Amino acid sequence: MAADFVRWWTVRWGSCDARLSSSATPMAPPVTITSVDASSPEAYELANVHDVYDQIAPHFSSTRYKPWPIIATFLQSLRPEWVGLDLGTGNGKYLPFCPCAIGLDRSRNLLDIARTAGGMTREVVQGDVLENYWRPGVFDYVISIATIHHLATPGRRKRAIQQMLSAVSPDHGRVLIYVWAVRQDEQSKRTIPTTDSSQGQDVFVPWVLSDDQNRIFNRYYHMFADGELEELVITAAGEIGLYVGQGRQEGIEIVQQGWERSNHYVELRRYRVQG
Amino acid sequence: MVRLITHNLLACHAKGCTSNNFPLQFKDVQIVVRESEFNPDFLRGFIPKIEWPALVSSSRELGDTSLSDQLPEMLDDAFLKTLHRVLFEIHVEEGVMICPNCSHHYPISNGIPNMASSVTLLIRGLPYLASSWLNMKLANDLKIS
Ligand SMILES: [Zn+2]
Repeated sequence: MAADFVRWWTVRWGSCDARLSSSATPMAPPVTITSVDASSPEAYELANVHDVYDQIAPHFSSTRYKPWPIIATFLQSLRPEWVGLDLGTGNGKYLPFCPCAIGLDRSRNLLDIARTAGGMTREVVQGDVLENYWRPGVFDYVISIATIHHLATPGRRKRAIQQMLSAVSPDHGRVLIYVWAVRQDEQSKRTIPTTDSSQGQDVFVPWVLSDDQNRIFNRYYHMFADGELEELVITAAGEIGLYVGQGRQEGIEIVQQGWERSNHYVELRRYRVQG
Repeated sequence: MVRLITHNLLACHAKGCTSNNFPLQFKDVQIVVRESEFNPDFLRGFIPKIEWPALVSSSRELGDTSLSDQLPEMLDDAFLKTLHRVLFEIHVEEGVMICPNCSHHYPISNGIPNMASSVTLLIRGLPYLASSWLNMKLANDLKIS
């Protein structure tokens, strides 16, 4: 019970002896099950996501990053004159690969890194993925990679998807969403507390700060079940009056969906028949 | 960074503020001009998205008077270079953006605009802070007894 109220905590990881005897690349500490304080999911996220990222931000390396294949292909398929929004941009690691994108994040300290991601001036905005700060439909595309799994209720994750659908052009807007999956890659070094990929799972994922204390910061994640993301997209779209499927006057097409490197993804396209 | 390319897409999102909520007005700004790579193809593609009167008034608020009231019909290189400078090279580093409808203030610091209202964040955080304080107190009381 008490743990539910603990804002975030840091513990020393192992004893001195254990650390001395461990190899150069220690196993990551295990992912643990958590339950969300449903009375105030905003406060829960503030404590277990936003505050944590603000604290660990200075330790994110700004080394070059290579996007996963599905993400790389998506970004390469965008037209050079398009403008996009990267929701949950973090340290801005995708911004150098986007034709022209504005990065949005809640963490001020991550944005201080993102604003010069890839050695160039980037447009970044501090804000919440549950809000829409833009003229409706003004973006050509939205990406949201590894972000909405930090939202603490299904309703909030759904609302974030609705904001993405509203932010893009009703004629051609494209959306790519990635979330962490219960179904893990064989190469994953994470020890996770569940193997039943038919059920989503709320967890704490530890981040070990490699300073002299090896402090551990727990971040909240919702690990998505198989099919959960697609279902959420369909519900989200339906609630704002958007048909999912082809062949209507207006709607959303699921271009592709699948699983890659321990993540579920879905790619969407808005369409509207002219005339 | 707040450059006018971003500013021209922004609108106020305060609860119930749905009309006349654009463009946000600049106040108390500090500006830095930095050169950047000229990309005429991007500009030609982006022009249909621009809310032109908003861009003109906002650029004038920042002290740049190079845009005319009407979007010119000839999109020649001289015009595109002017547009490039206005959209991409004027950086608002410090200041405030104010909604013309509800007067909500969106601060800009170190080049980053904060669209999440600090008041909202504070109110959202309060139930949690209260509960964690109670919990700490409870833990202390238990230890003493
Ligand atoms: Zn307003």
